[in-house]
Amino acid sequence: MTSLTSPQPPAPTVALAASARGLTKTFGRGDTLVHALRGVDLDLPAGRFTAIMGLSGSGKSTLMHCLAGLDQPTDGSVTVAGQALESMDDDTLTRFRRDHVGFVFQAFNLLPMLSAEQNIWLPTELAGQAGRDRDLRRRFDSIVETLGLTARLTHRPAELSGGQQQRVAIARALLSAPAIVFADEPTGNLDSSSSAEVLSLLRQSVRELGQTVVMVTHETEAATYADDVVVLADGRITERRGDAA
Amino acid sequence: MRTVILASLRTHTRRYGAALLAVVIGSAFIVVTAALSSAIRDGLTAGLGEPYDGADAVVDSPSPTETARLLDAAAQSGADAWLIGWTMEQVALDKGADTRTVVDTSTDIGQLPDRPDRRWQELVSGRFPGGPGEAVVDTNAAKVSRIEVGDGLRIGTGGDALDVTVVGLVDSPSTYAYASVYLLWSDLARWQDSLVTMSLAWADPGDTADARTAIREIVPDAEVVAVDAFVQDLQKEVNNGVDLVRIVVLLFGAIALVVAVLVINNTFTILFAQRSRDFALLRCVGATRRQVLRSVRLESFALGILSAGIGVLTGLGAGHGLVALVRAQWPGARLGEAEVAPVWLAGAAAVAIGVTLVAAWLPTRRAVQVSPLAALRPDDSTQARTRTGRIRIALGVVLLAAGVLGLGAAVATANVGALAVGGTAVFLGVLLFGPILVPALIRSTTPLTRRLLGPAGRLAAGNAVRNPRRTAATAASLLVGVTLTTAVLTGMASSRSALTAEMDEQHPIDLAVTAEGPLPADTLDRLAAVDGVVAAVPVPGVLARIGDLTPLPLLPASTDGDAKVLHDALPTPGPRQVLVPWDLIGDGIEVGDVVPVTVGDTTRELRVVGGEGWGEAALVRRTTLEQLAPDAGTQAVWLRAEADADPADLAGSVEAVATPIDASVENGLAKRSYVDLQLDVLTGGVVGLLAIAVLIALVGIGNTLGLSVLERGREHALLRALGLTRRQVRRMLATEAVLLSVVATVLGTALGVTFAWTAIRALVQPAIDGAGLVLPWGQLGLVVAIAALAGLVAAVLPSRRASRIAPAAGLSLD
Repeated sequence: MTSLTSPQPPAPTVALAASARGLTKTFGRGDTLVHALRGVDLDLPAGRFTAIMGLSGSGKSTLMHCLAGLDQPTDGSVTVAGQALESMDDDTLTRFRRDHVGFVFQAFNLLPMLSAEQNIWLPTELAGQAGRDRDLRRRFDSIVETLGLTARLTHRPAELSGGQQQRVAIARALLSAPAIVFADEPTGNLDSSSSAEVLSLLRQSVRELGQTVVMVTHETEAATYADDVVVLADGRITERRGDAA
Repeated sequence: MRTVILASLRTHTRRYGAALLAVVIGSAFIVVTAALSSAIRDGLTAGLGEPYDGADAVVDSPSPTETARLLDAAAQSGADAWLIGWTMEQVALDKGADTRTVVDTSTDIGQLPDRPDRRWQELVSGRFPGGPGEAVVDTNAAKVSRIEVGDGLRIGTGGDALDVTVVGLVDSPSTYAYASVYLLWSDLARWQDSLVTMSLAWADPGDTADARTAIREIVPDAEVVAVDAFVQDLQKEVNNGVDLVRIVVLLFGAIALVVAVLVINNTFTILFAQRSRDFALLRCVGATRRQVLRSVRLESFALGILSAGIGVLTGLGAGHGLVALVRAQWPGARLGEAEVAPVWLAGAAAVAIGVTLVAAWLPTRRAVQVSPLAALRPDDSTQARTRTGRIRIALGVVLLAAGVLGLGAAVATANVGALAVGGTAVFLGVLLFGPILVPALIRSTTPLTRRLLGPAGRLAAGNAVRNPRRTAATAASLLVGVTLTTAVLTGMASSRSALTAEMDEQHPIDLAVTAEGPLPADTLDRLAAVDGVVAAVPVPGVLARIGDLTPLPLLPASTDGDAKVLHDALPTPGPRQVLVPWDLIGDGIEVGDVVPVTVGDTTRELRVVGGEGWGEAALVRRTTLEQLAPDAGTQAVWLRAEADADPADLAGSVEAVATPIDASVENGLAKRSYVDLQLDVLTGGVVGLLAIAVLIALVGIGNTLGLSVLERGREHALLRALGLTRRQVRRMLATEAVLLSVVATVLGTALGVTFAWTAIRALVQPAIDGAGLVLPWGQLGLVVAIAALAGLVAAVLPSRRASRIAPAAGLSLD
């Protein structure tokens, strides 16, 4: 694999990519009230690979959705790339996601009617960056080559294997050099060799591009690739490992 | 299985909404048609026999001369006769002051029987005429034209014009015998030549046999019928007429139902595709294929029953409401009571259920053919090149080829059957090609939508073609209505232009003002100054004696500058010919007679030729006129009206100038605009009836889009997560709907114009020489614009639902 060339120097490790304070999220009301998050405080340092772990129902996906601006917390505040999310309306939030956040999901990552290449360019296109400048084009080529997708660019998602689809999703997330990339169970649907490949690629993007990656997973095996591990249970952080404060 | 059926009906009823609506509209249309036709029938047959009360025999449609002879003879012999019929004359209203307004250039004038006990008209206000110069007016006609008792009316134009006073308002018990104005025979007799007599009632001092003998004595070959038999025949005739109209209207209902079948078929196909996992799960837990099939069939049956019930009730409500509304608002329409026979309700319900079952048949079979295992895998990919795809394409090619051959044969042989079969084959061929053709057309618009709407536009185009068969089926439903509508519009526009050419020939002059003597010097200027007149040409002439006719103005067939007013050249008389209006021929002179034409002391022997279109005057060659009257003054003025001038208004203004100088006015414009109006009414009626089919198709587009939105929930969530704003999501779906409807409309318009062209080549051209294809660009453009707008409307609900989806929703595996 060739190494990724970074268009900018890696961010200083002391900076925070995202942080949450007193994050609370409840669903339903009365008898059906569910506390998904109960006052979570979390700092995610830039340029690190953080894994959020927990059992099913521990609130880890909700935490990620709130951090990524996909869902509104009931209480508490979220700051991503220095900006407070709770003050944004839907359109501003959408644009913010487009410009500063990348996503890799467990399944259904790609739009079925677009080719692999069109899927990778989609967020850029949605942002209205019509004239793809030469730097971005070079970054695209380099990412595609690193992820081994060069021969697959014209294929539709249905013609790709699960591992290939997930690599297309990673390429899409990395292309715009977002402040933070969220990966929700990225290996949940993959066999072990594809899983290892995807996780290595995520770690490689942190090491070589200085990318910040936050991964939600319930697999201990997957968490070993991360720099820091945060464990969630019943809506609270119960354990922090690695350098995470 | 019953629990499963009930549960799935409960869960999916909302998704059946559009299919339900389509069937409801179709079946309600049938019931409304039945209600309206029953009301029309009731109105038409009510009091049918009353005009013949007291008569002993009826003469069926005597000629104008026979009518006059019978009426005169009856008066002398002590019998009593009256006619049911009318003459069409211009009516101008005189409110006392000097203002006279033309109410209508063509109003039906009927007879009021002389003897009071024979008067079948019911007096509403005022009194019946006591003698000549008095008239009664139908109360509804009076309301529309604001005629009141005491007003003066001028009936007819020129020398035959008659001034009467309105002394009463009457109502007609029978729609069939109805006329707007009734005169006594002594007044009506002046138009006896142009009288249309439907029937003549004869009351004899003796019995029916005596009546027959008496009538036969006057008109030997008269068709004399007993009163009861005549009324029965009339009733039958009216019934047949109403039945025919009802069949024609139901034909449009059938078209709407075919579209409904397409919409429901599409709905079931999409729903079953979405539910294939449910079916597979049922199979996995032990349901046999038959059981699943039965449960789905029962589900569609239940849907059919539900929509039949709603449709019939809606139709009853709408039908009775419509009839009540028309009766209250427009009593002149003379509708009777609406009464829908139970057999119609049952029929409409049966059609609704049948349509639903037929439309569900194929999708149901396809749905249960999925193997339990295959259906459990998510299946998003759609491939056009399946086995059925190839069969479909082959069949499409065959149908297209056969259809084109059929249309070609129709053009060559002017055969209506070949035209219908060829047209249907071509249309079906295009429908079969739909899954290839429609997506290709949509794809071709991608660069445009992308430039206009950015990524949302590109995504929309991609979405619109991702499931070619679904797209094609949705487009097909709209294609039916649009093809027929544009074919009718184009056919009508072409026929109109052909008819206009013919009307130009028959009525070359918009308004001809012809005087008995030389016109006063200022007449030309006063006529040229009338609002709506664009050109006025003075025509020289002289009063001449032609054979035994009363002296008649003699005009030249060509005048300096007449091209400014003429739509088409006047017929050219030969050097020894005189053109005499048709309505003067037969009373003393016949076509082919050589008659002396005398002006002053000069006489020429000329051969009589019939013609019309220039008013009450005879035409000769310009040289002939110069020989007869070397210093002829201005005898007539010919006027050209603005293209959109109102014929009644213009006639009123021109009459105001013409009446004081005893000049007659020939109103060619009124006759042209009457033909125009007929065509407008016909076009409007047909397009209005086709609109039902188009409406159902639009429900179908909204439906397909709505179901697709449900299906694409996760996709929209992903797009929202990746940065598509709410507005962009809405725009994307609206674009998809507009693309679909516009492409279907453009394709339908192309087909419709082609069909119209073939029909004109095959049917109109052999009849009317030089009839060509005329494209009503404005109307066709309007059709496309309406389709685009309707696409937008159809997208409102689905796109609102889609844009409300939360970005986080549905991203985890369900």
